[in-house]
Amino acid sequence: MSIPQIVVRNLSKTYRVPEREAGLIASIQSLWARKYRNVEAVRDISFSIAAGEIVGFLGPNGAGKTTTLKMLSGLLYPTAGEVRVAGFVPWKREPAYLQRISMVFGNKSQVLWDIPPKDSFRVMGEIYHVPLCNLSRMLDELVELLDMHALLAKPVRTLSLGERMKCELVAALLYQPKVLFLDEPTLGLDLSMQQRFRHFIAEYNRLYGATIILTSHYMADIVALCPRVIVINHGSLLYDGSLQKLACQLAPSKVLRLIISDEYTQVNPDLTFPTGVEVLAHEGASWTLSVPQAKVPTVAASLLNNFPIVDLAIEDPPIETVVNQVYQWSPSPHLTGGIDAGTQEEQELFRNENVGVPVTGNSQGGER
Amino acid sequence: MNLRGGWFLIKHTWMSWLQQPIFFFLLAFGWMIPTLIYLFVWYTAAAGKTIGGMTQHEFVGYYLVFALVSQLTYSQTNWTVGDRIRDGSLNFQLVRPISPIFHTVAAEVAGKVVYMTFVIPIACILALVLHPELHPTLSSSLLFLPSLILAWLLRFFWGYWLALLAFWTTRANALLGVQDSLTFLLAGQVAPIALLPSPLQSIARVLPFRYMVGFPVEVLTSHLSTVELFTGLAYQVAWLLTSLILFIVVWRAGQQHYTAVGG
Repeated sequence: MSIPQIVVRNLSKTYRVPEREAGLIASIQSLWARKYRNVEAVRDISFSIAAGEIVGFLGPNGAGKTTTLKMLSGLLYPTAGEVRVAGFVPWKREPAYLQRISMVFGNKSQVLWDIPPKDSFRVMGEIYHVPLCNLSRMLDELVELLDMHALLAKPVRTLSLGERMKCELVAALLYQPKVLFLDEPTLGLDLSMQQRFRHFIAEYNRLYGATIILTSHYMADIVALCPRVIVINHGSLLYDGSLQKLACQLAPSKVLRLIISDEYTQVNPDLTFPTGVEVLAHEGASWTLSVPQAKVPTVAASLLNNFPIVDLAIEDPPIETVVNQVYQWSPSPHLTGGIDAGTQEEQELFRNENVGVPVTGNSQGGER
Repeated sequence: MNLRGGWFLIKHTWMSWLQQPIFFFLLAFGWMIPTLIYLFVWYTAAAGKTIGGMTQHEFVGYYLVFALVSQLTYSQTNWTVGDRIRDGSLNFQLVRPISPIFHTVAAEVAGKVVYMTFVIPIACILALVLHPELHPTLSSSLLFLPSLILAWLLRFFWGYWLALLAFWTTRANALLGVQDSLTFLLAGQVAPIALLPSPLQSIARVLPFRYMVGFPVEVLTSHLSTVELFTGLAYQVAWLLTSLILFIVVWRAGQQHYTAVGG
């Protein structure tokens, strides 16, 4: 395994939030007796990400994805745990660290609103100490990749959402960050722009070997870009491994699509399938069945033996269905825990700076 | 310290603000109104006589200088610092290798340039109409600029640390409102400090608000003794150091408390 670029150990974040009952009396009472509640946004999560990896962060709303990203980028101080990103402790926010990372929020803009994006890019270049010749070269390259020559001279406020997103990407990448945190970057973009964005991120990763963490509610983003996913829910890590394996291991059933000969169907309109098979859809001679994983071989054999099959396909259920099912789970030890104390490189990363902090947490790198 | 980046930020923020000059001119006009009201009140009251040793035209001189100093030292950008903390838009500034205070300073400097292109011509027109009288000495003329710079820094950092309390309370802007009210009362806007009732005058000479606006105006328009001049400058430096320490303490503690709301 290559040297990890991001190492997270037993990371937790608890927010203290005010709360009160609805109504006027409760609102008056809160003036002198304000109640607070501790909300555990992230609970004891551990993982590591190698340089150049693209990892998808999955989880329903409020799962703790963005809080984790904010701790990794240095915006938030954790309540407990340790993090190293590119060898730095993020929340110290050393300039050398900030020079190496970039964060893109799908719903927030960092380019100046009233001036053309080219002026904003020049400011970003100066803030990140990019020599003018490198800035021009990088700008040309990114503008070419995103096909946005026509946008450079227009004030940002006159651009469409997709056009502004292109500008955000250029502003975020023109100093060639080594670690990218992308939080819902395709929010509100149309299908064509989403596709272009995915292609662009994959290309950036290939060209510059950047490590990328991506959160998105669009599974198409995750499927296209992330060979590995980390699933978080209620602040806990539920799964860390390949998306494909997640689907294979955890889908309770497979989908069988079969087409039976027309002649047979006309004579026998109501077919009887083996026990445990659920009919999902039926139209003419086409049937879509849900079959429990364990029964797939026997059911397929039985169907082939008993019916004049014209076509038979066995598929995984849609990834959204699988992921949705993962979200319903509570954290369970067999999915999250019991891993070794980290690779030698990971331990070395922490040993340098954390005197007195035990390095005994669970590290979850790679597939399981 | 990333000074070059800071300079580019200032330049481009200024370019951005220049896109909507009318909006900022209207803001500047709004901020001038209270000073102009007091100018005309004292101008009328002092017609044909002196009040506290000041003639009608000396009042004009005092309030025109006050209007310019007030505009130059007013830190309007501090009002947006709390908003940025509250709505999470501070996030982008925190992940850049340049201190977030540069963004505020950029807006501050950009604003000053835009506002002054409106305020200076207005002050010149009023000066032509109302004939201000000023009797600056050589020492007061020389000390005016340092006292003005100290006043701006003090007003800026005092407002900035108050605005940073938004890390803990979402309505920290109310404290900026209190600062503005105390400045209105104790910085020489309602009346020159020398004309305030004695107890109020004693309070005003100790608290920081006089040193944010009124003191530089007095340096140029009043006959302050050498002791008064240097005592005033010492107060400015002391309050500036206090506000710098408060800024550093609150900023460091606030970052650990920051919840970075929003995406």
